Amino acid sequence: MMKRAYWRIGEPMVWLSASALAITLLIAMTLLVVVVVNGLGVFWPANLVQSDLKDGSVILGELVKREARHEQEGERLQFKIGNREFNGLDFRWVDAADIARMSDPPSVMALERAEYGNFYGYLKGVTPGQLAETLTGTLPEQLSQLRDLVAKQQKRVDEEGDRLSNVSYQTEELRLKRLKLTYDGMPETDPKIASLDDERSRLQHEFKEILQVQNDMVATLRSATAEFQTADGQSKQIAVADIVRTWFPNTMSVSAKVFFYLEKLKELIVGEPRESNTEGGLFPAIFGTVMLIFLMSLFSFPFGVVAAVYLREYAKDGFLVKVVRIAVNNLAGIPSIVYGIFGLGFFIYGVGGAIDRVFFPERLPTPTFGTGGILWASLTLALLTVPVVIVATEEALSSIPREMREGSYALGATKLQTLVRVLLPMASPGIMTGLILAMARAAGEVAPLMITGVVKLAPALPIDGHFPYVHLDRKFMHLGFHIYDIGFQSPNVEAAKPMVFVTTLLLVLIVLIMSSTAIHLRNKMKKRYTHGTF
Amino acid sequence: MNPAFLKRVRFNDRMARWAITIGGMAIIFCVIFILVLIVNVSLPLFFSPTAEPGREIRLLSADGVTQVAEGMDDYLETGFSLDSSGQIQFFDLIHGDALDHQRLTAPSGPQKVAAATTYGRLNQVLLWEDGSLSIDQVQFRPSFDAQNNNKRTILHTVERLAQLPVPAYGHPVQSLARLNDEGRLTRLDLLADGSLHVQQREETTNFLGEVTESQEHHSLEMGDARGKIQALAISHDGLQAYAGTNLGELLRWDLSDMESPELLETVQAFDDRRDITALALVFGDVSLAVGDAQGHITSWMPVRNDDGRRVLHHIHDLSEFGGPVQALLPTLRDKNVVSLGQGIVQIDNMTSERYLLGLTHPDGLDRVALNSRGNGVIAVTGKGNLVTWRLEIPHPEVSMKTLFGKVWYEGYDEPAYVWQSSAANDDYEPKMSLTPLIFGTLKGTFYAMLFAVPLAIFGAIYTSQFARPRLRSVIKPAVEIMAAVPTVIIGFLAALWLAPLIERSLGSLFLSLVILPATLMVSILLWQTVRSYEPLKRVERGFEFLAITPVIIFAVVLAAVLGQGLENWFFAGDLKGWLFTEMAIRYDPRNCIIIAFAMGFAVIPIIFTIAEDAISNVPQSLKAASLALGASRWQTVWRVMLPSSSPGIFAGTMIGFGRAVGETMIVLMATGNTPIMDWSIFNGMRPLSANIAVEIPEAPVDSSLYRVLFLSAVILFVMTFVVNTIAELVRQRLRKKYGRF
Repeated sequence: MMKRAYWRIGEPMVWLSASALAITLLIAMTLLVVVVVNGLGVFWPANLVQSDLKDGSVILGELVKREARHEQEGERLQFKIGNREFNGLDFRWVDAADIARMSDPPSVMALERAEYGNFYGYLKGVTPGQLAETLTGTLPEQLSQLRDLVAKQQKRVDEEGDRLSNVSYQTEELRLKRLKLTYDGMPETDPKIASLDDERSRLQHEFKEILQVQNDMVATLRSATAEFQTADGQSKQIAVADIVRTWFPNTMSVSAKVFFYLEKLKELIVGEPRESNTEGGLFPAIFGTVMLIFLMSLFSFPFGVVAAVYLREYAKDGFLVKVVRIAVNNLAGIPSIVYGIFGLGFFIYGVGGAIDRVFFPERLPTPTFGTGGILWASLTLALLTVPVVIVATEEALSSIPREMREGSYALGATKLQTLVRVLLPMASPGIMTGLILAMARAAGEVAPLMITGVVKLAPALPIDGHFPYVHLDRKFMHLGFHIYDIGFQSPNVEAAKPMVFVTTLLLVLIVLIMSSTAIHLRNKMKKRYTHGTF
Repeated sequence: MNPAFLKRVRFNDRMARWAITIGGMAIIFCVIFILVLIVNVSLPLFFSPTAEPGREIRLLSADGVTQVAEGMDDYLETGFSLDSSGQIQFFDLIHGDALDHQRLTAPSGPQKVAAATTYGRLNQVLLWEDGSLSIDQVQFRPSFDAQNNNKRTILHTVERLAQLPVPAYGHPVQSLARLNDEGRLTRLDLLADGSLHVQQREETTNFLGEVTESQEHHSLEMGDARGKIQALAISHDGLQAYAGTNLGELLRWDLSDMESPELLETVQAFDDRRDITALALVFGDVSLAVGDAQGHITSWMPVRNDDGRRVLHHIHDLSEFGGPVQALLPTLRDKNVVSLGQGIVQIDNMTSERYLLGLTHPDGLDRVALNSRGNGVIAVTGKGNLVTWRLEIPHPEVSMKTLFGKVWYEGYDEPAYVWQSSAANDDYEPKMSLTPLIFGTLKGTFYAMLFAVPLAIFGAIYTSQFARPRLRSVIKPAVEIMAAVPTVIIGFLAALWLAPLIERSLGSLFLSLVILPATLMVSILLWQTVRSYEPLKRVERGFEFLAITPVIIFAVVLAAVLGQGLENWFFAGDLKGWLFTEMAIRYDPRNCIIIAFAMGFAVIPIIFTIAEDAISNVPQSLKAASLALGASRWQTVWRVMLPSSSPGIFAGTMIGFGRAVGETMIVLMATGNTPIMDWSIFNGMRPLSANIAVEIPEAPVDSSLYRVLFLSAVILFVMTFVVNTIAELVRQRLRKKYGRF
């Protein structure tokens, strides 16, 4: 009897609905855990294990994964073996049964290199080359002294490099200036053009000179080498300039490892990408993302707020408002790729093409604004996020009690004064919410960017030291696209995976922090104004 | 108060009103504008082609001299006409002036031209009266005058490419010749007695640099064809020959082996034995356009039949004339066919079977030729004057049929829906059927919704009605934050983490479909017996989902462990292999299962949030009344709360649907992007959105592909627009019913 009643009153259904919720939350948790676990571990300097195999060969590398063997007994181990120039692969699977002995040799050294990924081996010698006469101390000490010297020299090389890029920028400016003059009908023989040509050949000469100086410096720089030996006895000369960092993973203390981890984290945030984006830092991508979001807010925020104010405060409730609401909601529901294609057709080929024809006709057919760039991408995103701002602002305005408006009018304030002095300040948390949500959406959106100007590797940031400092026509990098790009288009996906996870973790953190702030703000505001609903 | 101040305040107020009103209207304008723009870009796909007539030029020719060939350059500035005396006269088509002329002669000396045909880039094949033959190329070269503002002038020359002497086997009445890139010269002659001869000449250079010339001539066998040959066609490289007879038969020869040309087949093309009057190979040399005496134009191509042989097959029907088709001309850049009959010229596209346009002249048209770009037609009127038309045929290969219907493409064994926008060679048929893409979109959405809707709605029911308010205030924001997870991350995890995982543990996945519900049922039953102890009775209320979590985790772990064993015992450790060999199911690593999980995950929070709001906003009085009448909490929810909030739940589902339809990054990364039509959950697909993302960077502006991609954006827009509008209308009604939402 009891049992049947339990079924009839639907108690199991309650449990089933509870399990639906539990499954949903579990999936979300899984996603978060996968990202965090895979992302956080990437920079931790794991111990290097030397395994002597039964066939006599030796493997040195980080133990990455253990798993049961397919269809067979025992397990197999995955090592990250580095030394790409010898092995061709970064990872190697070994059956546990084939390993005779595993050890953690203390003197093994790990190198992060500018090219060819990590190197694991033993330091055998240091050659200072033209950089120093002699070095003192043990080999690792010598290496670290030499690396200091190399770093100093590298700095000088970089300074020359800056000069070079300055000169080439000026040359390009001159070329464009000359192009403009000839386009405007100035004959080739005009003294103005001749002086431009003189200036240009002077710059080209200067460029060659600097290049010569730099080449000499680089030659000195690269004369400093270190000799290493791999676990299986091959020796390898590595230019010290190619070494990004060195560490002895098997003898590092925990605090040293933490310090190492933080170092890597710092490099991630402020460093430039290397090795087709699979190593190094994310600075250009972070910069591009932030600038994109900033520009996007600049467009979508005022428009969104104005539109919401119109809908809530000015428009007469009726058919039109109904239509506008539907339009706004539709705007929010249009697939982002459609915005992208709109951005391509309207902003890039339409507006950008027109700008090029009017202002830069001399450069055609090379487009200036008529190609993807950060301006067009942010305008496209602004269009995409405007509905979010509208809906949030409207909600905030509508939750302000009527009495507030009436009180203001009763005191003789005009509509504008009421709006500016009373309503907008009260609604500001709601508006902020909308803006933050819009920013979070923009940070995570990739599809429309792919066709409006995001690139794998941007040669220059959209802001730099050359007049006019902000270059809105430039292409840019973006964290979300970075994930897509290195996860799917890089030649060595397996080696790129750690970097993708780190980027993912970073993006997830940014988006989650932003949206939880927004939601928190909104809930707080809701509590402030909602009174007496049920 | 200061009147000036008041005035300023009022002025500001008015200005603000205007500014804000304009700003608000801008938003509606935006939505409309987006639609208008993308429609506007895609619309030219369906525009009718136009033809703009040029100046008519009188041809002055002596008695007894007839026109045999004509042509013009790609800029439609210079034209020429060739008459039977061998004189080639150039004209300035813009001003109508006659330019210079020159006389072509037969290999043996001055002769009259018996017949002329044109192929390729204005190669004139001239059959002279004595039976000798020459190939002369009329060349137009634009030259730009740098001094004179880059003024363009067209220079013209005539170059003799090849010549063949009088054949020994007889006097030809009709001849075709081709000189191909390898230097092989092929000549096909139809003699007065109806026999067909082929003569081929090739120069080969061996490794020592010695040039040897080989020449062969054969009479082509006719097989069981009984009719008289009326029309001939030969491929661009001269290696395939076709003929049509007066009894409706088509013959096909392979001439690639110089020593032994082979008759491939004889087909009774038309059962009513109508005359075949004109033949032409469509650009690409795969399809044959056939014109007959009844005025029909059809296209034929070799298709593999049941016993593996390739047999000519009727594929497309093009336009019709009132009388016999006199001539067929292929264009050199696309699959268009120009036909002449009854004094009119018609242009059709073969693939789309689209009648593009017809050209007429009051005097009727006797002859027609094309320039090599295919944008100009030059014709001779009934009175012997030259007329030209500038053609504007923007997207001949696109029609409703090619976009949405089944089309029999070249090289296919049957009509099919195919999306293949580009190929390695120039002469391919663009295959732009949106059907597989729309299918892909719907398939992905369907599986994602199948996964997401139950989870989201039941989760929302639980959260709003059964969970403790404190928990609810945690769950709801948590799910909202879930909605903010960028889809590129979901897609990346789906493709690089989930896909390999599922591929490895496919057995576990299927097993969990059984084990999960079973475990849940068992644990609920167990709990039911345990909870009869008084202290436990009220404990679970509002915390059920926490209590059930370990059970779910247990079930998943159990399925994972058992699944591996199951796969080892029953499928020899390889379920995928078993599926393929035993069930003929191909398992793609990136498939619909992955999409269901990933896109489902992206859609759940949207449906959840809206459904939860809808259920929570049903007036509490209803709930209280139901409970007071003795209904259980589930009965209250099922019979009272759900019906009242169903429009809201429907709206949420619709919006979720709209989101899934337009989702790009997840499908781009996790579907494999193969445009196939197959409901199998183990295969991938290519949805519209991913297709746009993949193809638009490579699409040249204003090309057919570019516009078709915009058209697919329009389809996406319309799909989501309809769905969202319905959802919004439903929500607005609900809002009115229950107050604020």
